[in-house]
Amino acid sequence: MKNLLFAATFISVLFASCSSDDDNGTAMEIDNEVVAPATYTFTRNGENSVSFSGQTTRIMMAGELVSAFKNFDTATENSLKAMFAHVEGAADFDSDALNASDKNVRSKTAASTDYFAANTTESTLIKNTFDSYITTQTSEVFPNENTVAEPGTAGQIADGSSVRYVTSQGLEMNQLFAKGLIGALMADQMLNNYLGTAVLDEADNRSNNDNDITETDKAYTTMEHKWDEAYGYLFGTSADPANPLATIGEDDSFLNKYVGSVAGDSDFSEIATEIFDAFKLGRAAIVAKNYEVRDAQAAIIRQKISEVIAIRAIYYLQNGKTAIENEDFGAAFHDLSEGYGFVYSLRFTRNNQDDNSFFTRSEVDEFTEAMLNDGEHGLWDVNPATLDTISEAIAAKFSFTVAQAATAD
Amino acid sequence: MKHLFLILSTLVIVWSCSTDDDPQTQEEPSASFNRQAMLVNWADKIIVPAYRDFQQSTNELQRRTVEFTATPNEVNLATLRNQWITSYRAFQKVSMFEIGRAEQLRFRDRLNTYPVNVAEVEDFIATGDYNFELPSTNDAQGFPAMDYLLNGLAPTDAEIANIYFGSNGLAHKAYLEAVVESIHVLATDVYNNWETSFRDDFVANNGFSASASVDKLTNDFIFYFEKSLRAGKIGIPAGVFSNEPLPQNVEGLYYGYLSKILALDALDAAEGFFRGRTNNTGNVYGESFETYLDFLNTIKNGADLSDLIIAQFEEARVAIELLNTDFTEQIATDNTAMLNAYDELQRNVILLKVDMLQALSIDVDYVDTDGD
Repeated sequence: MKNLLFAATFISVLFASCSSDDDNGTAMEIDNEVVAPATYTFTRNGENSVSFSGQTTRIMMAGELVSAFKNFDTATENSLKAMFAHVEGAADFDSDALNASDKNVRSKTAASTDYFAANTTESTLIKNTFDSYITTQTSEVFPNENTVAEPGTAGQIADGSSVRYVTSQGLEMNQLFAKGLIGALMADQMLNNYLGTAVLDEADNRSNNDNDITETDKAYTTMEHKWDEAYGYLFGTSADPANPLATIGEDDSFLNKYVGSVAGDSDFSEIATEIFDAFKLGRAAIVAKNYEVRDAQAAIIRQKISEVIAIRAIYYLQNGKTAIENEDFGAAFHDLSEGYGFVYSLRFTRNNQDDNSFFTRSEVDEFTEAMLNDGEHGLWDVNPATLDTISEAIAAKFSFTVAQAATAD
Repeated sequence: MKHLFLILSTLVIVWSCSTDDDPQTQEEPSASFNRQAMLVNWADKIIVPAYRDFQQSTNELQRRTVEFTATPNEVNLATLRNQWITSYRAFQKVSMFEIGRAEQLRFRDRLNTYPVNVAEVEDFIATGDYNFELPSTNDAQGFPAMDYLLNGLAPTDAEIANIYFGSNGLAHKAYLEAVVESIHVLATDVYNNWETSFRDDFVANNGFSASASVDKLTNDFIFYFEKSLRAGKIGIPAGVFSNEPLPQNVEGLYYGYLSKILALDALDAAEGFFRGRTNNTGNVYGESFETYLDFLNTIKNGADLSDLIIAQFEEARVAIELLNTDFTEQIATDNTAMLNAYDELQRNVILLKVDMLQALSIDVDYVDTDGD
């Protein structure tokens, strides 16, 4: 019996260690009397109790803003900054619904309770960094719309048949902005705000949830809603938000897209399912008032979303490295700009071991500075060895290798 | 017994999780095919002669352009147009060799991005303010821009010629001349580079690595076959990659009777390269993918892989020959025939990209971009 038990443990350890990415997660569906539904569908007294419209709105605002980075003829520094820090009723967007909204992207950038409530210094620094991306785009890249990019000169560069617009350092600011927001907005709000006990259990949230006391005129308790808001930053624009895996990767240009991309790599094929299942089970746990199960699911989501950001950072650094080696600067700058944004997003990851980021501010700053400091002209001069060093340093915090992250198949 | 099961299952688990981690190493095939001889045949019997023909055709193209802009009439327009067709067809023989200088110059994108962006061309004509080195101007230059300038400005030749006439025609003349000059400069640059230095570098780089000439040009060839021939000439206009067919995306849209000719030229060139055919014509063959596969004795489903590929070239040729001379007509009347031609080309993409590359131990060095 002992042998058998030992052997079984041994096997399951083996299984877990080699297939942590391949686990189909079905074992999670029944856990401590909490049963997850087949889809992300929850009701109270027959009424839908799931709501995350604010997240959907912010994803769509971010999408329009990032597209507007390339509106050379119509966008200005002021118009882009107005989209970023939208004020209710201002005609900043193409969509009337977005214009009418009282939400905006900037106020939720680097704004999580856990990381930034008592760290407004860094929060302000990060918001200002995103502002500076806009300024660089309009002051440096816009005037050189019809200039061929060269070391030290902003302008156009070909990436295959695509045209990229880069700074004098070879950076694509729209990519820095978009991929940086995946961390600073989506992941930060999800992992460090809505899934944290400071928010989920704030004030009377627990007793209200225990007693089914819903918000005024709503079908949900505050705790349920907070959980749904976390969900919304990943699945808020899904074609069918109750069954979002059917279209994962196609529903936005932010976190949804890249969870889909990572899940498309056979090394990580179950990651989207694992995240979705954890969201479902955690929400069911709130309904069942089982907060242990809830927090266990939050931990899974934190780990997996952090992995997605790290995998994608390495993926782009390594693809950029290959392109640099082939002297295909256009392709390299595009990849490395995406990589830069994902590296910047590492700051917003969440390590369950210590409830802090996997990477400190200074670690992330060292990475991004290293990318630009191999020579006078930033990415034009970047050394492949630098990109390997950063990639290895990122992978060292996780159980996957640089090679696994670098190849998508 | 239990233990055996345990060990077995452990083995299965370990085995199954390590399959994804195989390093992508490339090994030199045990028996060594003379790659250098293949490179010499490619360079001296196919690539350099094809660039020479193309370059010379652009000399003539420039001469005919000057003749037309000096005296814009129907006769000179027709002569220039014929030379445009000759050069466009010669281009089909070099387009797949996007390596070295051609790659640096973005040769194919600058000479043959279609459909032409008419609004951009009209803007450039009106303002005279453009720079063909900018990647954003790919779709306003090259042969597709000439197609519009020679065939698309008006319904009749008399009216087209008239647009270039007198002081009102100066802007059009200048733009036509600039487009042709750019084609000529690009063609000359790449050809001279092959003749003066690149041929020797290319042949000397005869190793077995991702940066070796064989590996690189093989990838360029298959990329061309997949993206430019299969997709660009047939698949995209037939709507394979969109919700509806896109007849406006055929090659040589404004002339109207060129899409099939160019597709067949490209197919012939691709097959000629596969078979190592001297000057891409006739019956003299040298070292090539065909002889390389035969040397390795590559068998697929009991048949010679090189035979399968050659037979599939023929299937594709038969399918394309069935099409209307003008693909826009074909798409309008019976798009299924277009789709069939696409499928026949796609079958060869698989044979080349999967089976041939596996046999030659060459890794694919390009991926479909993730679209952002």
